[in-house]
Amino acid sequence: MADLTDTIASLDPPPLATHDREDELCAAYEAAFEADRETWINFATPAVERLEKGSFSLEWMNTDEGHWGTQVKPSSRGLTFMDCNRSKAYGTIADSVPDHHRNLTPRGSIRDPYKDQLPVYDDFVVTEKWDLWADNVSTLYEEAKARQWNATKDIAWDELEELPEDLEKAACQLATFLTEIEFLAGDFPAKWMYRIPAEFLEIKAFLATQIMDEARHLEVFRKRALAGGGGLLHVNPMFEWASKALMASPTHTSGAYFLNLIGEGFILSVFRGGEFLARTHVDREIFRRCLQDEARHVAFGTIELKNYLENHPQPDQALARMHRYADIAEVLVSTSILQPVVLEPLAVLMGGGLDEIDTGMDGVAFLWDVVKEEYLQRCDRAGLMRREVCKFGELPWKAAC
Amino acid sequence: MLSPGGTGVSPEVFPSVEWFARLGELMEENRAVHEHVGEIDCSCVWTVFDADGQGTDRHFQTTFELYSLIDVREVTEEERVKANFILETDVWVWKEMLDSIAEGGGRPDLEHSLNRLSLPGVPIRLWAEDPLDRDMFFRFNGSLQEFVNASVHIPTAYLVED
Repeated sequence: MADLTDTIASLDPPPLATHDREDELCAAYEAAFEADRETWINFATPAVERLEKGSFSLEWMNTDEGHWGTQVKPSSRGLTFMDCNRSKAYGTIADSVPDHHRNLTPRGSIRDPYKDQLPVYDDFVVTEKWDLWADNVSTLYEEAKARQWNATKDIAWDELEELPEDLEKAACQLATFLTEIEFLAGDFPAKWMYRIPAEFLEIKAFLATQIMDEARHLEVFRKRALAGGGGLLHVNPMFEWASKALMASPTHTSGAYFLNLIGEGFILSVFRGGEFLARTHVDREIFRRCLQDEARHVAFGTIELKNYLENHPQPDQALARMHRYADIAEVLVSTSILQPVVLEPLAVLMGGGLDEIDTGMDGVAFLWDVVKEEYLQRCDRAGLMRREVCKFGELPWKAAC
Repeated sequence: MLSPGGTGVSPEVFPSVEWFARLGELMEENRAVHEHVGEIDCSCVWTVFDADGQGTDRHFQTTFELYSLIDVREVTEEERVKANFILETDVWVWKEMLDSIAEGGGRPDLEHSLNRLSLPGVPIRLWAEDPLDRDMFFRFNGSLQEFVNASVHIPTAYLVED
């Protein structure tokens, strides 16, 4: 054991990203190409020979294994994924994705005749429907597209009123924390989007909207901090540790639960409370617009967790495992929230000023209870009963005498 | 006794199917606003306690699809749970909210938005049997607020006295 400890201690840290490794990485890329050279030649040769003869293949016109003649019909709102999926040809989603579909080949296309020619994307590891599906995903995707907004033009920035310094500082500190959070909320789905085969196109598409939503949120809170002249204030180191743990979630469902049910659920409540926190109409509008987006993410996460628990091939083990994840995630999120850079600006805004921070803490304690209860309701809905074991305690707050 | 809550001809009585239907007509007239905010697909019951000052509670179900109010009807207390979510409060809170919207030229002050009034559970109680249905109130919040904000264009009369 001592040898192992010494070895670990003396190991060089891995090189950061691609810094100083560009030659090495380029060589590795060339080597990979060399390894597949025969594959490339096998694709290129017949195509080149055919072109040189002036002939055509026209094999793509053979629709024997396709769904030629299957016409999907639009509904009153246009042609949605739901409309497309009414047809068995395009709406039959695999319970498990075979290796030859672990790539970008679209569901419903003529792909099986090519299965011996198709590569497997090693990163596409989320191959089981029980591990990512949510029955409401298509509805939420359509809703997300229809309710996009523009943080540049839809917020009346020129109407932002000047606030007393204590309130502006609190608004800027909260905006700083929310900006930090929104990076996480975008990076997590981005990380997993590339691990999902094209078979589950609706999930990939919804995650893209979630990433866009979060980009807009980090944009709007950054702009809010800057627009009042105060700017971005202090980061939250504890939150960074919690975020790192979330990003390291070993499975999509465990991380999605962590992000969407706990994290986004908390943020949803903060955005609802935004109407108490908002000291200007501009702030209220920001919170309301973000609220709508977060509610979609929470709805997706809740039904995804429900799907996981109901369809996992070993449901008892799956449930036990989710409780183990929850035991950690609840502690990490609640600890992050307890940090002064989060709670105190909330209390100043709730109370209406630094002098009223004690009063504001009563409001924060109320919001805390809302967060907890709404989280538990969503867990109940998903089938993860956390009421008796939830690690969110009471807010440990007592007004100073 | 009717007390006017706005100006203009033939006030609509609040609460009534006609009053909510008029909001639906205004949705069509303000379609550009609603298209900008986004589609709304849900059903919502607005419960008005003591609607007439005589202790009568009334429940109005509004059903939205895309950018339109496609149905409005009065329902019973038992029927209302079929809606996605329910917003309930007394007629006086409604009046205060509508007055705030009118005074703000179609926008309530910071204390009188639907979300602000419902977050603490009082004076407006938001509830649903399914928390995901309840969350639709959040998902479509901007559209619902615009729907109610249009009341600025409706001369409103109440069945209660100030």
